[in-house]
Amino acid sequence: MEQFESLLTCCVCLDRYRNPKLLPCQHSFCMEPCMDGLVDYVRRQVKCPECRAEHRIPYQGVQGFPTNVTLQRFLELHVQISGELPDPTAGQVMERCNVCSEKAYCALCAHCDKKVCEDCKAAHMEVLRREISRINNQVRRGLNRLQDILLVVERNTSNLQTNCGAVAGEVDEIHKRLAKALKDRTDFLRNEVDRYLATELRNLTNLKDNLELELGNIQSNCDLADKYMNDDVEWDDTELVDTKEIFLKTVEFLRNFDYEAGDYNRRIRFIMTHDPNQLVMHVASYGELNITQPNAYSGGMQQNQGLTRSKSDHRLATQFRQQEENKGWQENEEPILGGRKFGERRPPPPEKHTRDPYGTTDDYSGYESEHRPARSRFRSRFVKSHLDNDSDSEQTSRSVKAEQKEKEKEKVADTEDATRGPLSGIFRLSDCPRVMQRILDVDSGKKKEKKEPPPPPKPVQPTPQPRRPPPAQRQESEDEISRLKRQNKGAASSQEPERAPARPVEETVNRKPPTPAREASSDGDTDDESVGSLQRNQRKTAPVVPKPAAAPRRPSASEVPTAHRAAARAPSTESSGSTESSGSAVKHTGNERTTPAATNGTTGGAQRVQSRFIGSQRPTPAPAPAEPAHEDSDTSSEEETDSSEESDEEPVTQRKPESQAMARSDIGPLLARSTNARNDAIENKTKETPTQSRYRTRQASQTEEEPAPRYGSSSGGSSYSNRYGNKPREPERELETQSSIDDESKYPTARSRYLALKERRNRLARSKSSHTGFGVADDDDQDDAVSPTTASPTAYLAARYGSGTGGSELSRSRSSHALKSRESSPERPSTGEKDGAALSSWARYLKNKYGSRGKDRDPSSTSSTTSRRLSLGLPLRSANELASSDDDSKNAAGSPISPTAATAAVAGFAAAGSSPRSQYMQKRRLQFSVGSRGSEPGCFTWPRGIAVGPDNTMVVADSSNHRVQVFDSNGIFVKEFGQYGSGEGEFDCLAGVAVNRIGQYIIADRYNHRIQVFDPQGRFLRAFGSQGTGDGKFNYPWGITTDALGFIYVCDKENHRVQVFQSDGTFVGKFGSFGSKLGQLEHPHYIAVSSTNRVLVSDSNNHRIQVFDVNGRVLSSFGEEGSEDGQFKFPRGVAVDDQGYIVVADSGNNRIQIFHPDGNFLRAFGSWGSGDGEFKEYKYFKMNLQQVVIPMFTQQYLIYAYIT
Amino acid sequence: MAALPRRIIKETQRLMQEPVPGISAVPSDTNARYFHVIVTGPEDSPFEGGLFKLELFLPEDYPMSAPKVRFITKIYHPNIDRLGRICLDILKDKWSPALQIRTVLLSIQALLSAPNPDDPLANDVAELWKVNESEAIRNAKEWTRRYAMDN
Repeated sequence: MEQFESLLTCCVCLDRYRNPKLLPCQHSFCMEPCMDGLVDYVRRQVKCPECRAEHRIPYQGVQGFPTNVTLQRFLELHVQISGELPDPTAGQVMERCNVCSEKAYCALCAHCDKKVCEDCKAAHMEVLRREISRINNQVRRGLNRLQDILLVVERNTSNLQTNCGAVAGEVDEIHKRLAKALKDRTDFLRNEVDRYLATELRNLTNLKDNLELELGNIQSNCDLADKYMNDDVEWDDTELVDTKEIFLKTVEFLRNFDYEAGDYNRRIRFIMTHDPNQLVMHVASYGELNITQPNAYSGGMQQNQGLTRSKSDHRLATQFRQQEENKGWQENEEPILGGRKFGERRPPPPEKHTRDPYGTTDDYSGYESEHRPARSRFRSRFVKSHLDNDSDSEQTSRSVKAEQKEKEKEKVADTEDATRGPLSGIFRLSDCPRVMQRILDVDSGKKKEKKEPPPPPKPVQPTPQPRRPPPAQRQESEDEISRLKRQNKGAASSQEPERAPARPVEETVNRKPPTPAREASSDGDTDDESVGSLQRNQRKTAPVVPKPAAAPRRPSASEVPTAHRAAARAPSTESSGSTESSGSAVKHTGNERTTPAATNGTTGGAQRVQSRFIGSQRPTPAPAPAEPAHEDSDTSSEEETDSSEESDEEPVTQRKPESQAMARSDIGPLLARSTNARNDAIENKTKETPTQSRYRTRQASQTEEEPAPRYGSSSGGSSYSNRYGNKPREPERELETQSSIDDESKYPTARSRYLALKERRNRLARSKSSHTGFGVADDDDQDDAVSPTTASPTAYLAARYGSGTGGSELSRSRSSHALKSRESSPERPSTGEKDGAALSSWARYLKNKYGSRGKDRDPSSTSSTTSRRLSLGLPLRSANELASSDDDSKNAAGSPISPTAATAAVAGFAAAGSSPRSQYMQKRRLQFSVGSRGSEPGCFTWPRGIAVGPDNTMVVADSSNHRVQVFDSNGIFVKEFGQYGSGEGEFDCLAGVAVNRIGQYIIADRYNHRIQVFDPQGRFLRAFGSQGTGDGKFNYPWGITTDALGFIYVCDKENHRVQVFQSDGTFVGKFGSFGSKLGQLEHPHYIAVSSTNRVLVSDSNNHRIQVFDVNGRVLSSFGEEGSEDGQFKFPRGVAVDDQGYIVVADSGNNRIQIFHPDGNFLRAFGSWGSGDGEFKEYKYFKMNLQQVVIPMFTQQYLIYAYIT
Repeated sequence: MAALPRRIIKETQRLMQEPVPGISAVPSDTNARYFHVIVTGPEDSPFEGGLFKLELFLPEDYPMSAPKVRFITKIYHPNIDRLGRICLDILKDKWSPALQIRTVLLSIQALLSAPNPDDPLANDVAELWKVNESEAIRNAKEWTRRYAMDN
């Protein structure tokens, strides 16, 4: 059985065979990745690992080899016998992982929503776990807020009770008082009435009695008189008189008595002092309860803000904010987890919907729409807002479902809602069946197969509970974000096709303009012509280069690499020899340039070399491609004579044929080969744009912009943008030759060649722009005198010279914002004095060091006088040229000594930007790209650091190849040093690289936790640091840079801080600690120091750039997580130019952003869907964008991409 | 760094479970691609009785490219230079992905018992080996005693 097993094991992957392919030698290997890895793409051969036999690869690739059916049967048999589980990956096809770009069995990762390999997925899951625990901590920290609130609520309850009790008492009191008053008054009034009644009654009764009496008396008197006052009775006279008197009195009484009857109906009246109605109203509403009604949910909302505030989780915050904005805080509208059940897959990205909206459908969903794609069965019917941006079909189907949904909602609501937290909708994770299952598995120890709890066939789902811990919440926010991401992406991708065809046109338009300018200028350039013949010699060396590259075609067995090299070297030395004969002044540069190019061309640079020479229409027919190498010198000398003749007549055109001549010798064979090699790498990107337009060459040496030759149809699939365009190089060479003439006299020995070069370039630019042909004898001083008075066309210049003219030479050389920011510059004596006490020792050190310099000292002035003058002169000159030529001014502005360099690269495009803002807005076109994946010279495996050295060389930390590579300003490989190891001069996955003022290389040796310093020749000088957290110790140092004084700044990534050292490695200071507050860092990756001594750190995991002063005090910070302008996702590389403009490689958004010195967003380019058409190189942005570099001389942004 | 390929894991496991006699290879704690190796000098060779330390590193594209192996213990051998670098075809152009750590180390052990002075790396040693083999063997024994036995 043992042997049987081993027979079924592929000897390469030591795993069970997967799709075994049979080689002609009868050995079998898995097709992927084993056989794939064995392929020698260059020779289209595969070498059997068992017997070393070499086999030609069939036309259709390794899958063209026959499948070993017998073996496969055995495999199946074995599965049956042993009962082992079938290979889960069986039948799957390997794809490129979207994260690490390795080929593997990929699966969709819920974290990044890309198809990624298992490793990356595991890493992502780890990230998620860490994030969850981090957020859990936040939640824990935030939890006491809830508890506080609980306490407050309890307190409020009792307060409320007291309050209400008090108020009720008050009301009773008032009631009592009012009642009493009313009663009193009522009683009083009634008494009065009674009393009055009694009195009046008595009076009336009296009167009545009297009247009755009177009436009786008079009646009887009358009766008596009638009866007796006749003659019958004897009355004496007196009696009669008295009687008569009485009657008279009676008459008088009757006549006079009058009773004022009066109106007894209304004798007494009740009059209200107030209108009774009002009074009643007043009383009825005699008091109100003033109840301050707080928002019922204010507690909840505050909590959200609290979380936002409490810690970085912007996602949460934005999530909540969004929800609040969009639809308020309403339950059920936006169910947690976007309506999915816990742990279920998210609904597929929007694109998918559009693609197969009616695709495979749901087995379970009786009531759910069949319109949903397969995955969507996991969506609950609550899902609403997430899908807003979905395709039309989705929308319509949704509208159809609307009513159903209403109904369902009710059903579900009683069950599910009861289980959720009433405020936030979070449920208790441990109540989720999946989680329970998981935990059960863990507890019971049996690692059960992860069983997907089948989605319940009925909507009614007995699940989760009230109190839910925020992890879930966070999930939700994640979810939301990724969904947004997806939507964006979807939108972008849907636009892409439209844009793609448009781009070539734009590009041609873009590239056209420079041409006339260049021709005009070069025509007018007398220098150019005068040195024409010399140039020819020099340039001629280049034609030699590609030829050796033909060597690999010869089947020279295993010795190929060395053979190449030898072949390559020989011609190049020959050619340099010939150069020598034609002009000794040229020799130096010529040599330097050709040799590296030659070696490069043979190995890694093969494709590049090839494509670089494919180009413009050439008048002469190409000779046979397989021209033997030994003919090289002949050919080149012929070319030399040809071209020198031509050059006298027409400097511009004559260059073209020549460059074609370079190309012709090996276009054909190389083309085929390189396409092969490349096809694989860019397989899935080919659909993009017509290749030719994509691979234009930019003038690398920026002096003269000639529209780069397009790689016409002949270059077919060649996709590397080649920066080696022959055109770009020519001006360079012109410059060299031209200057070499006067160099000898002008810069005898004291000045470095680099300075001379600089000078030359400027001169050229100057003469071009002004068309006056400044004499060769022009020198810096002259320029200095002239330029300030020259009318400067831009505001920038005005500002610059406005403040600068009054000052000394030095101050003038500073940029305007440098001057401005000097106030805040901590090392400035005036301020420095003030807070001297507070300064760290390091600051004091700095102060001492700067102290003697006086106020106007320029940070960059520490170098020699010459260089200082140069740095002065250049910007001035650029001012002159600004009006006439943007491109030219680019070269000039900038101080050559500023060691600002930033960092590591992965994506190979370069964009030009230059000092004035307008130029930033315009220039960002691809300059060139360097390298491809690999370990040969000129190739990279995870380049992580890039810097600019003297002579505008480009220094790249080739991380996984454990070496440093140096390229010249045209991207031609110059040298490399370093190898794997932990000894002196050895690296282990180095990251950052910097070049200081004196050309020393400073390298962050990441896994060795140390910094190494090398001399300009690449020899080890010293190392310092070891793993640890103390001062001077590192934990995975990444970015590194130096300032004008040579201080070394190191991003100590895992220690979340920046450390500063003297150039000899002495610890000076440190700043930053773990956290997200201002001044705190989380995984700082890269660092840059501006000419105004501001230290910029890419605070990667906090998604921002922080600006410190050299003492480590935080000055400002900008950026936050997001993909809008000015927002970042894991910013990596950061660089700053001498104007203070900040360039950030926004790795998570795959773009470069440029900011004003104050951190305000200026522009971004390279983002997906930016729609600006100038960037066709979408594929470049698929890679991890890590670093940006700004060579100070050229003022171009070179952002190197690395194609995997 | 990316996760370890299955092949490396398998090889490491097998090296632990079924160690090759006379050879011990233990991965470093911090880097699973870096192995501390001890090879015993083969019998009937001048290196008998010595314990030779080596370091072995599996590059990123292993097994498509050969492991990097180096002697740490000084050894007097025509195919091993002063820095411990080994001249062995399977570590260079004859590498095949079908080879494994164990086979590489066995080959190195075999190289100890069969020095090949005709394909030298250490020229002086090879010269002596060719001219005066007994002297060379004596030297080798001496070096073995001095550097590979005192532990």
